[in-house]
Amino acid sequence: MKNKSIFWSMTSIVALVALLLTACGPTATEAPATQAPSTGGSEIDCAGAKSGDEISMLYQWSGVEEAALNQVLKPLLDACGIVLKPESTRDQALLDTRVQAGTPPDVAFWQVAQLVQYKDKLQAMDALGADSSSYSDFFLAPVTIDGKWLGLPIKADVKSIIWYSPSNFETLGYKVPTTWDELDALVEKMAADGNVPWSMGFESGDATGWTGTDFVQDIMLVQQGPGFVNGILDGSVSYADPGVKQAYETYGKWAMSDKYTVGGAQGTLSTPFLEAIYKPFADPPEAMLVKQSGFAGGEIAKQFSNLKQGADYDFFVVPSIQGLQGSVEPMMAFADTPAVRALVKYLSSAQGGANWAAATFGLSPNKGAAGNYTDAALQKLGDAIASTSGFTTDIGDTIPGGFGSAEFQGISEFVNGGDLDSILAGLAAKQAEGLKK
Amino acid sequence: MNRDQINKQLNKLPTHAIVILTMVIWAVPTLGLLVTSLRPPEAVGSSGWWTAFTTQRTAGPYETYCAECHGTDRKALPQADLTNPELIAKYSRSLQLLALLRQDINGQPHMGNMPLPTAQEAADIASYLRDDDQANSRFTLNNYIDALVGYRGRSSYTADCEAGTQPPDLKCNLSDILNPRGMGRAFINSLFVTLPATFIPILFAAFAGYAFAWLDFKGRFLLFALLVGLQVVPLQMTLVPISRFYAQTGLNGTFLGVWLFHTGFGMPYAIYLMRNFLGTLPRDLFESAYLDGATHWTVFRQLVVPLAMPAIASLGIFQFLWVWNDLLVALVFLGGTTPVMTYQISNMVTSLGSGWQVLTAAAFLSMLLPMIVFFSLQRYFVRGLLAGSVKG
Amino acid sequence: MAASQANSNIGMSGKRKRKQASPNPPVPQIMKQGAFVPWLYLLPALAVMTFFIVYPMINTIGLSFMNSDGTASAATTCRDGQPCWGVFENYRYALTDEFNTSSPAALWKSFWSSSYGNTIKWIVVMVFGTVTVGLAFAVLADRVKYEALAKAVLFMPMAISFVGAGVIWKFVYDYGTSQTQIGLLNSIITSLGGRPVAWLSTIPINTFMIVIVGIWIWSGFCMTILAAALKSVPDEIIEAARVDGAAEWTVFWKIIVPIILPTITVVVTTMVINVLKLFDLVYVMTGGNFKTDVIANRMYTEMYKNFNVGRGTAVAVILVVAIIPFIYLNIKRFLEQEASR
Repeated sequence: MKNKSIFWSMTSIVALVALLLTACGPTATEAPATQAPSTGGSEIDCAGAKSGDEISMLYQWSGVEEAALNQVLKPLLDACGIVLKPESTRDQALLDTRVQAGTPPDVAFWQVAQLVQYKDKLQAMDALGADSSSYSDFFLAPVTIDGKWLGLPIKADVKSIIWYSPSNFETLGYKVPTTWDELDALVEKMAADGNVPWSMGFESGDATGWTGTDFVQDIMLVQQGPGFVNGILDGSVSYADPGVKQAYETYGKWAMSDKYTVGGAQGTLSTPFLEAIYKPFADPPEAMLVKQSGFAGGEIAKQFSNLKQGADYDFFVVPSIQGLQGSVEPMMAFADTPAVRALVKYLSSAQGGANWAAATFGLSPNKGAAGNYTDAALQKLGDAIASTSGFTTDIGDTIPGGFGSAEFQGISEFVNGGDLDSILAGLAAKQAEGLKK
Repeated sequence: MNRDQINKQLNKLPTHAIVILTMVIWAVPTLGLLVTSLRPPEAVGSSGWWTAFTTQRTAGPYETYCAECHGTDRKALPQADLTNPELIAKYSRSLQLLALLRQDINGQPHMGNMPLPTAQEAADIASYLRDDDQANSRFTLNNYIDALVGYRGRSSYTADCEAGTQPPDLKCNLSDILNPRGMGRAFINSLFVTLPATFIPILFAAFAGYAFAWLDFKGRFLLFALLVGLQVVPLQMTLVPISRFYAQTGLNGTFLGVWLFHTGFGMPYAIYLMRNFLGTLPRDLFESAYLDGATHWTVFRQLVVPLAMPAIASLGIFQFLWVWNDLLVALVFLGGTTPVMTYQISNMVTSLGSGWQVLTAAAFLSMLLPMIVFFSLQRYFVRGLLAGSVKG
Repeated sequence: MAASQANSNIGMSGKRKRKQASPNPPVPQIMKQGAFVPWLYLLPALAVMTFFIVYPMINTIGLSFMNSDGTASAATTCRDGQPCWGVFENYRYALTDEFNTSSPAALWKSFWSSSYGNTIKWIVVMVFGTVTVGLAFAVLADRVKYEALAKAVLFMPMAISFVGAGVIWKFVYDYGTSQTQIGLLNSIITSLGGRPVAWLSTIPINTFMIVIVGIWIWSGFCMTILAAALKSVPDEIIEAARVDGAAEWTVFWKIIVPIILPTITVVVTTMVINVLKLFDLVYVMTGGNFKTDVIANRMYTEMYKNFNVGRGTAVAVILVVAIIPFIYLNIKRFLEQEASR
């Protein structure tokens, strides 16, 4: 019977597959080897790690980013013979399931909020041999939880910058503003000229809205200063404070009108944040300015290969800002093994910082990175960080307990015409809940 | 053709219209994906996929505004040779070009009596002068090649290989197809996951379905109702307890762990369908088999399994689709060391979402096998559900 | 081919026999061989289901009465001056947090933009849409020569992963701010002289726009099942009605629909369960923003974005409770059928 033969042939296929599996077993993905900068492996401290020792790691980077990370780690792997078992995902469910089930990766690269969440399960960095002298205090503060140094600041970005086209500015006779009032006047002048000043884009999947909260936090730093923002972070200032409302209103004036931003409120809400980065540099340009973190430089370079940094695209720091807003991505360690110690020592060494800078993978908080950037825009950002008077982390990334996603939803609702007072009241409740000890 | 036949055909016209219209509506979004996956990334973001078939941007605005003075070869005015790259570089973008056009030349308006081009037209002229169009072809296979070999650089695999600047994990020969970052290796992993994870639940469900339909035992209906009810349990709820258990037993990261998990979750619907189908088989068939002295096992092997082929096929395709398209279970229990296709697809873009044109090609590649399975099982498939859900 | 033909013949004859001998007990006497054997056949299925579904479910119910990381009773999460339901605190949060109870009108409004209201919209629109499209297409495609191709086209979206579906619909719903629209829908609208619409952020149409994607994916499933049921309607009955001069519309409503009604019930039930569990689409397309949240996505958000295990599991338990009536309907239908067998 034909049917029967199908059944048994399916059986034999399965048997065959099972046989193959027992024969060869799952093949591990090796991290692709990448060319290393010629720093020489002799200075690397293997901390007793033996050749063949494994490190399992979990991170959110993929594509080009993953290749850059491999480039940074290559000298360590070559010197000590450590084998990476990497996993890449943006699904927080994976990290959480791994941790809850008692099978966390040896190290994870994730957000500052996870340091708080997993504080009881993490290894202290100084115990692992990390060199704290490589980092400025303002980078160590966000990764120190309850007095314990739990995260190695691995990658930083500056958020308080505005990207523009110097050549377009020159042609249209605009000048880079040096105070907030000048920025405000410039925006009005652009609008009066019929040039849309801002390009804004919220859309980012389940994190839709984060570009808006970044902007609002910069405005808070301009209007109220870093003390106010740190107050929000530790709960001494409520998110329903009039200072927060003022920042939202300042922002809303621009974000919700098609005179000031591409497409008005609906344009702000629906434009993917990457598209928003492109608009001032497209031809013809749809806007003049886009406020976006340092990573935007790399995205512009990728999208418009014929544009040159410095002439066709550049950035200025948000004028009149008191201190900078930035983000720090920490590496956290769940295990204490010789290989993990070697990794921590390497990444916190001057050499690790230098190699990070050379990989063109964002900014390294490590002081060893200074002067080693091969990318001009990164070098300029690195200088901005080095000279800043202060540094506040992203409110949404830092307050635990789901405040971040609530804040993103809140600003999306506000730009979509929601009632600001009730939105801020709801967020203040989330803030109090998230910060409750 | 007589009048009756003509009338019959005419009466069918609305039917054809509705069927074809529905087919078009259903196919167009997927067609968009197919066309997009074949386009160069620069074109995807700047124009709709349907414009790929219409004529390309040409020298149009240049002909309209500039050719009269500068000539079609762009060299008519020696003092303003538009093929000179240094000159072009200064006016390579619309704003600069428009500013120039607004200025007077030798005391005369640059454009004479002609109106200024619009911003878009100026951009087209600038682009034409930069010779951008020649560099961009309308269709490309690069996205598919990049997806297959797992290329993750800043340009494309073919361009990098020509320039010799490919990432070190690629060798620019046929062996790249087995690159662990590519879809090739992931395809094999996906098959390893999917085939047993389709087969085992069907086998278990056939056993259980037979028991529920043709064997008598206490609490038959109650137990069956309970099992059907378990369809509602959300998968996310079970991840933590199961991985805790897997960690203790060493099943984490093994294919066996994934097969068992999919078996557990496929079971309620599979039993439901199987029992429903087997219940419609004629009773006299079983009765005569038992009268001949057959045991349950013989009946199951020689009667139930062959007769249930339609149900097995239909269940097969649904379970296959579900496992093939699953990301979460594969990610949690298999992880990144044994990547399946869905894992590779989601990792082709950066965490910021750039590079997603490769994703269009990858998504299309992952669709191919399910479609082949559907076409080859379609005959059984329809019949299986028929018997499973309809009872006289 | 021959084999399947034979099968269907056996099936038909068996069915007719059964109708004649309806008061028979469900299982022939002769087949009651021992009390132990049936459990042997059930054992593999029961074992995997107990382990992978029942045990985690019990675990879940327990966690829903605990705090955010499962270390203490939910009652300890109550805050002074706020309403509190003791150990049911997570349920209070899950059931009431989204609602504005200041006035009946505000409650009504907030209900329809909550995850509960949206889930109801999903169930009504998506189940109606998939079943209608599936049934209409099954009936009509039955009458054309390219039936197999037509059905394959309708089924195709089922073969696409959610990541793929997300990309596909981006090129339909995209809202461009410049003159060029790369979204198909807005391109059509602007070419007809209209203003582009931001489909996914305009309340309340955005929820329905995501439901349309759901209908696009699942209609093929309904169509396949219903098409199979249609083929089982005996041709003689339909022909007899036509000979009697009944219009096609009457034949459909008065003869076909009653015969396949059990199948329609099955499809509706299965779809309701699917819709209640479905969160991938909302997650991919809006992440629950702009008042498009549904219960299943809320569960995911509480669990994995807010890391509040207690609340997440409470939402999950509510989800399960919400499905029970539909399961009950399904089982009832079974019992009725078994009784008449």
